[in-house]
Amino acid sequence: MLLSIENLEVKYGNIQALHGISFHVNEGEIVTLIGANGAGKTTSLYSICRLPPPEAPRVIAGDIKFHGESILKTRPSDIVKQFNMALVPEGRHIFGNLTVMENLEIATYSREKGTNFDEEYQRIFDLFPRLHERRKQRSESLSGGEQQMLAVGRALMTGCNFLLLDEPSMGLAPLLKYELFRTLKKLNEEGMTILLVEQNANLALHLAHRGYVLDTGEIAAEGTSEELLGNPDVKKAYLGG
Amino acid sequence: MTKYSLNILIAVFAILLLSMAHFRFIDSYIQIVVMTIGINIMMATSLNLVNGNMGEFTCGHAAFMCVGAYVSSVLSVFCFGSKFGDPLLPAASVLIVFPIILLIGGGVAAVSSLLVSVPSFKTRDDYLAIISIAVNYMIISALENMDFIGGSRGFQGMKDTVWAMVDIFDGPWMMFWVINFTILTVWVIRRFISSTYGKGVNAICQDEVAAEIMSVNTNKIKIINFMVAAGLAGCAGGLYAHIIGYVNPQSFNILKSTEALVMVYLGGMGSLSGAIISAVIFTMLLEVLRSQAIIDGLMSPFTLVFPDWEPSAGVIKWVMIPLLLVVVMQFRPEGIMGNRELGDIFPWLKKFYRFK
Repeated sequence: MLLSIENLEVKYGNIQALHGISFHVNEGEIVTLIGANGAGKTTSLYSICRLPPPEAPRVIAGDIKFHGESILKTRPSDIVKQFNMALVPEGRHIFGNLTVMENLEIATYSREKGTNFDEEYQRIFDLFPRLHERRKQRSESLSGGEQQMLAVGRALMTGCNFLLLDEPSMGLAPLLKYELFRTLKKLNEEGMTILLVEQNANLALHLAHRGYVLDTGEIAAEGTSEELLGNPDVKKAYLGG
Repeated sequence: MTKYSLNILIAVFAILLLSMAHFRFIDSYIQIVVMTIGINIMMATSLNLVNGNMGEFTCGHAAFMCVGAYVSSVLSVFCFGSKFGDPLLPAASVLIVFPIILLIGGGVAAVSSLLVSVPSFKTRDDYLAIISIAVNYMIISALENMDFIGGSRGFQGMKDTVWAMVDIFDGPWMMFWVINFTILTVWVIRRFISSTYGKGVNAICQDEVAAEIMSVNTNKIKIINFMVAAGLAGCAGGLYAHIIGYVNPQSFNILKSTEALVMVYLGGMGSLSGAIISAVIFTMLLEVLRSQAIIDGLMSPFTLVFPDWEPSAGVIKWVMIPLLLVVVMQFRPEGIMGNRELGDIFPWLKKFYRFK
């Protein structure tokens, strides 16, 4: 088991966002968390990455284990470094004033100095040819879809083998959405483990191997994608009939 | 050849300045102005590191200058003065010890910057600005209540150190040190910004959350960045104290911090060359507006209407300069240089020197 979350209870200020959820991610899997707004999907991701304030959620009970080792005491920046984990946050959080290339360069921040990253840049550009066209452009001036590609590409440049994505399809045109999800599929086939948080349940479940349905801070249903797609309750609530 | 041309140019300029001062081609007043320009360059570039490059908003930079000034003054009086009893060191060692004293002052100022950098982990923007003002007041009040170093009456006796240097060789020593430390400051800042840490600083400026998930340890970078900035301001303070020969806590109050802020915003946030240019312009402007004749000329339309009014240069100066800032912010909010460097505007300069 790569990552396991055990009875996690999380508070934002006085509001309890998660009421003891448990899930796990195996190596090489795509796991998706789906649910309505405010169900606690993003909170779970942010708890794993332990993002800095003011976004930081406060874990009051439970544990997050990576390869069986608790990571609750680790700094967010060390989590990325030690566990080869990378987050693609909601809203992309790219460095708007920098060019596409500079964004990718910052991602190599904690990696060994003097390494030649050309091959890896090339890999990103193979995955997202659009970024290559615009590598000298200020990333602020990219379209929403390109910014999302850049956010994924930047996460990959950290040298991760576990990718956490928060609502990657938000604000994207349907065609771009499919393109992005195809890329994720390809990455997974190359060995990348993916934890995907998504509102678009239909799309997410068709991509993922397993899924968890969150509802007001609790896990309402879990199972393989086929099971969830066939589950009448899930169908009714999230898949539109 | 082009690689060293700027170094040679600076060296020639420095030697020219020093020999002009030595042979009295420029009088003490001009010398003080030149040294003030150097100190203001140090203050502006070091504050620019925090406010421009890292994007945090602090307005208590004079506090670190104050710490540096007091620490190096006290040390220098201990070593070469007679205020606290016999001097600890022989006067001949002053040329080696003096820069060390300044660096120790900078070091203590760097440690005192923890007062701002640790709260900055969780606060930013306006709240950090309030904290930095509070720290500025804390340090001033603390020093005002330390009677053994003069308290609010101020502290003097550092001139003994300068005289010790003059005894060895009769030259413009303080100008020599100011020029050296100004060059050191610009060099340190440029090295820092183009290092891996500089990349982290840039990332924090853009987006702190993204920086953290890109494995930048934001707390560490903040501490280092504040320390470098405060340390350099501390060195500037030490030089200032030795030029004037007298320090008073009130000369490092919020007005002094504001001066540094004005220079940074005038020059452009995050632009090293902009901070240098604006420090030069700002200091010159302060001196030019000191002249009563110029102020009288500028105010003549008003004195025609109100013949009884005799504007004094010292007061009107502080109307004109904030007004200048208002005008700059209105018509060129990004400052003189924006976040560009000289090399971005005049590409042929890149051959000689890159600010980034």
